[in-house]
Amino acid sequence: MRQPTAQWAQGPLIPVISVLVALLLGALFVLLSGNDPIAAYVALVRGAFGSPYDVTETLVTAIPLTLAGLSVAVAFRTGLFNIGAQGQLLVGALAAGAVGARFGDLPAILLLPMTVAAGVLAGAGYGAIAGWLKATRGVNEVITTIMLNYTVVFVMHWLLQNGPMTARNAFGTPASARIGDGAILPIIIPNELVPLSRLHAGLLLAIVAVVVFWFLLWRTSLGYELRAVGLGPRAAAQAGIDPARRMVLVMAIAGGFAGLAGMIQVSGVFHRVFDGFSAGFGFDAIAVALLGKNSPIGITLAAILFGAFQRGGTIMQSDANISSHLVEIVEAIVLFVIAAETIVRALAKRRGTPAEAL
Amino acid sequence: MTIEMLLGAGVLAAMLRLATPILFAALGGVITERSGVTNIALEGCMLMGAFFAIFAADRTHSLGLAVAAGVLAGVFLAALHALASVTFRADQIVTGMALNILALGLTSYLNFEVYGLTGTPADLPTIPVLPIPGLSGLPLVGDVLGRQSALVWLAIVVTVLLQLYLFRTIPGLRLRAVGEHPRAADTVGINVYATRYLAVLASGGLAALGGVYLSMAVAGSFTDNMTGGRGFIGLAAMIFGRWTPIGALVASLIFGYGDALSVTLQGTSIGDVRIPVQLLSTIPYVLTIFAVAGFVGRSRMPAADGQPYESEGH
Amino acid sequence: MKRVLALALISTFVIAACGGGASASPSPAASSAAATTTAPAAPAVKVGLVTDVGGLNDKSFNSLANQGRLDAEKDFKVTTSVTESKKQEDYVPNLTNYAQQSYDLVIGVGFLMTNSVWKVAKQFPNVKFAIIDGAPANDKGDTENLPNVANLFFKEQEAGYLVGVIAATMANDKVGKATHNTLCAMGGIPIPPVDRYIAGYQDAIKTIDPSATILNGYSNDFVDQAKGKEVGLNHISKNCDILFQVAGGSGLGYIKAATEKGVYAIGVDADQADVAPGTVITSALKRVNKAVYDTVKAVQGKAFKAGDNFFSAANDGVGYGKLDPVVPANAKAAADKALADIKSGKITPKDQLQVK
Repeated sequence: MRQPTAQWAQGPLIPVISVLVALLLGALFVLLSGNDPIAAYVALVRGAFGSPYDVTETLVTAIPLTLAGLSVAVAFRTGLFNIGAQGQLLVGALAAGAVGARFGDLPAILLLPMTVAAGVLAGAGYGAIAGWLKATRGVNEVITTIMLNYTVVFVMHWLLQNGPMTARNAFGTPASARIGDGAILPIIIPNELVPLSRLHAGLLLAIVAVVVFWFLLWRTSLGYELRAVGLGPRAAAQAGIDPARRMVLVMAIAGGFAGLAGMIQVSGVFHRVFDGFSAGFGFDAIAVALLGKNSPIGITLAAILFGAFQRGGTIMQSDANISSHLVEIVEAIVLFVIAAETIVRALAKRRGTPAEAL
Repeated sequence: MTIEMLLGAGVLAAMLRLATPILFAALGGVITERSGVTNIALEGCMLMGAFFAIFAADRTHSLGLAVAAGVLAGVFLAALHALASVTFRADQIVTGMALNILALGLTSYLNFEVYGLTGTPADLPTIPVLPIPGLSGLPLVGDVLGRQSALVWLAIVVTVLLQLYLFRTIPGLRLRAVGEHPRAADTVGINVYATRYLAVLASGGLAALGGVYLSMAVAGSFTDNMTGGRGFIGLAAMIFGRWTPIGALVASLIFGYGDALSVTLQGTSIGDVRIPVQLLSTIPYVLTIFAVAGFVGRSRMPAADGQPYESEGH
Repeated sequence: MKRVLALALISTFVIAACGGGASASPSPAASSAAATTTAPAAPAVKVGLVTDVGGLNDKSFNSLANQGRLDAEKDFKVTTSVTESKKQEDYVPNLTNYAQQSYDLVIGVGFLMTNSVWKVAKQFPNVKFAIIDGAPANDKGDTENLPNVANLFFKEQEAGYLVGVIAATMANDKVGKATHNTLCAMGGIPIPPVDRYIAGYQDAIKTIDPSATILNGYSNDFVDQAKGKEVGLNHISKNCDILFQVAGGSGLGYIKAATEKGVYAIGVDADQADVAPGTVITSALKRVNKAVYDTVKAVQGKAFKAGDNFFSAANDGVGYGKLDPVVPANAKAAADKALADIKSGKITPKDQLQVK
C-alpha cells in the first residue's frame, strides 16, 4: 500500500465547504431518522467544547489519538502502512503498568522516566518485529501488524485474567497492580479552575512527541532520508541507510509513539492496566494520520476533531437521546467528505471549464 | 494433545467453516486490487451483507431474496467507494476507512431501530447444508466435506472461477492490465474506469457474501459488528496469497486451521501445565505470521494499485 | 497547509457556535425532548443509565438493564436517559455528565465500572449511584462502600444451580436427546461473574448426577458468534447434550450449535427461550431489570439503601426461565424444590469451579 499522495486544495474555501457539506449531510441523516438535528448538533458541540470541563475531556481523548496518529504517520512517510498502532499501544501500556507497579516505591524522579522508557521501548520493540520481518523475509507489514494486534489482545487477556500480571482486587474485572505514585502523570488543571478535570501531564508528553516528530522528520538527516524514501524507489535507492535497517528503525519509531500512548493511558488515566482498555485508538489513528496529511499540526488538529466527535457523541446520546450509532454515521460522513474534497473540487472545475479532463 | 485434535475430521471441517468468510473477503480484495483500486472497506461490505441479508430474510422469508439483498448491500457500499476512488480520485484508504465506520454505524443503528431490545427473530430461513452423495460415505473426507454449508462450496467454486478468469481469459487479462499499466491499457482501448468500477462493485458483492455466510449460515441472526475484523484478515490473506485467488484460498485455510485449533485444543496441557485458553486464541495469528515468513521472496502488488488514474482527453 | 487552515476553521466555527458558554452544569433542556411525562407536583426524579462497552443490543445483560429503566420510566413517571460507553476511558466522563446535571440516580451497568463509580460518587455526594454486579472500589483496588452508592449483587451461582438441576435430572433420566450423560458450559472469559454461573451449574450436576461428564470451555469473546459456535460443535462432538451458555452474544453461537445438531441449550441472564424454541430448555435468569426497577423505586420513595444489596433466589432476583415442553415434570419439580431449599438456606450453591 502506497503512501497516499497529497492533493492540495486550490484555496481554503473548498475544504471548509466540504466540512459544511458533511455536517449538513449528517444533519439530514439525523432528520431522516426522526430526530432533531439542531438538538443533536447542539449536544455534540456542547459535549465537546461547551465548558472547560468538556474541553478537557476532549483533550483527554485527543492525547492518545495524537500519539497513535504520529505512529501511523511516521510509517506512512516511508511508504509503510502501520496498522499495528493498537497492538503497539497495548504493549506499551503493559510494560508501563508492569514497571510502574514493580518499582512502585521509587520516587517520581526515577520512576516516571523509567515508566515512560518502558512504554516507549516496549512499543518500539513490538513495532520492530514487523519491520524486521519485512526487512529480512519480505513479509508485508500489513499482514504482520494486523496479526500482532490480535496477538497482544489475547496475551493481555491471559496476563490480566489469570496470568503473571493479574492483581487481586475488588474491581471484579481483570486488572494489573496499581502503579506507584511516582509513575502517575498528575492532573495539570487545578480543581479550583476546572472541577473534576482529568487532564493530565500526558498532554505535555504529547506536545513533546509532536515536536520530536517534526524535528525528526524535518531537521535530521535521518528524517530527510525517510521522507525521501517515501517519495519513490529511485529516492530510496539513493538514501544513505541500508533499507533493511531503515524499515526496522521506522517501525520501531512508529511503535515507540504508540507505546507512549499506551503508557500515558496507564499513567495518566487509569493508574493500572485494565483488560480491554483503550479500545479503538489504533483504528481511529489511521484516519487521524490521513486526515492530518501525516503532518504534525494536521495530526494534532485531526486528533482534536476526533476527540471532539467522540466526546460530543456520547453527550448527543445522553442529552438528545440520539443513538450513539448515529454519531458514528455522522463521523463517517464527515470523514468521507473531507477526504473526498476532490469531489467538490471536481464539481467546481466542471462548472468552470467543461473541457477539463475528468 | 492427540492427533485427533490436530488433524481429525472435526478440526478440518472447522477449518473450512472458519476460512469461508475470510476467503470471500480476500477474493473481493484480489479482484479490486488486480484492477488497481485499494478497497479496505471490505469489512464494511461484509457487515452490510450480514445485516441486510437477515433483514430481507425477516421481511420476505425468502432465502434467495435474502442473499440477493445482502450482496446488493455490499455492492452499494462498494459503489460509494468506486465513486469516490475511481471517478473523483479521492484518497482510497481514507474513503475506505470512512465507509467501514459508516457501515458499522449504519448497521448497528438500523439493528437497534428495527430489532431493538429483542434482537433479530429466530425463525429465519437458513442457508442449506450441501450433503454430497457418495462423498459422505468416505472415512475422513466424508466427515470433512460431506456436510458443509452451500456457501462454503460457493466460496471454493468462486475461487476456482476467479483464478481461471484472471489468468486464463482475455477479460481477466484486461483487468490485470488495468491494474499494472493503466495508461497502456487505455491506449489500446480498454476502458479503465468501467473496468475498475465493475471490479470494485464485484469486490463489494463478494465481501458481502462473507457477511451473508456469517449472519445467515453461522449465526442465524445479526449482532452489532459481528464481522469482528474478518474483512481485514481477508486483506491480509489476499496479500499473503500474492493477490491470486488460489493463494487467497491457501492463506484463508491456514488462518482457519489455526482458528479451529484454538478451540479443539482447549483443555489440553503441555506436560503438567494447562495451556491457557486465552493463549490458544493467538494460534491463528501467530501461525499466519510464521507461515508468511516461511515463504521465500517478496510478494508484489499490482503496479498501479492504489493510484487514481487520470485519463487524458477522453 | 490548507488542510491545517480547514481544520482550524472547523474548530473555530465549532467553538463560536456554542456561544463560548462556560457553564459547568449545562442545562438538560434537550433531554426532555426524549423523556416521558413527568410528575406534575414534585420535580421529576431523573435517572441515568451508563452501560459498559457491550452496547445495548446484547440480548442479555445491558438490554435487561435498559428494559428495567424503560419499565421504571413508564411506571414511576421518572425521566430517564441512557448512555452507551464506547471504551473504558468513557466511564468516568459519562457518569460525571449525569451527576453534573444533578440527576437523582446514576446507574453503572457492569463490573467494569466499580472504580469509575467510586471516583464520581465521591465527588458528587448528593447524587445517588448504583452499580450492577459490583461495589465501589478505590484506586488501591479495595472495596470501599460509600453512603450514596448501592451495590447491586446477584448470586449467579444460584441461577446456575437451578438450571443445573434441570439439566442433571434430564441427563439422569435420559430425556429426549440427552442420552450421553455429558453436560457442558461455555463462558465468555474466565472471570468471577461468569464462573459463578458455571460453578453453580457444576455443583448441581455433581449433586444430582455424579456420574455425568462435565465439559467446560471459553470463547474468549463476548460478541463473536462464530467462535461460540465452534466451541459448541467441539463439545457436541464429545457427546455433550446440554449446553449452558454464559457468554453474551458469543453464547448465541453456542446455542446455535445445539440447534444445528439437535441437542439442548440453556440461556443466560435474560429468558432466551425465544432465541431457539425447541432447543433452549430453560435459562438462568439474572433479573437485572428488576434490580434497576427496584432501585429507581427506592430512590423515588426515599428508601434508597446504600451498600450491598443482594438479588438472589430469596427475593426473586435470580431464577430459572421458561421451560421448553420437552422438560419433564420431575425436572421442574426438582428445580422448584431446589429453589425453595436455596431460599431457606438449606442449599448454598458453590461459587467456585470444579471443572475448569
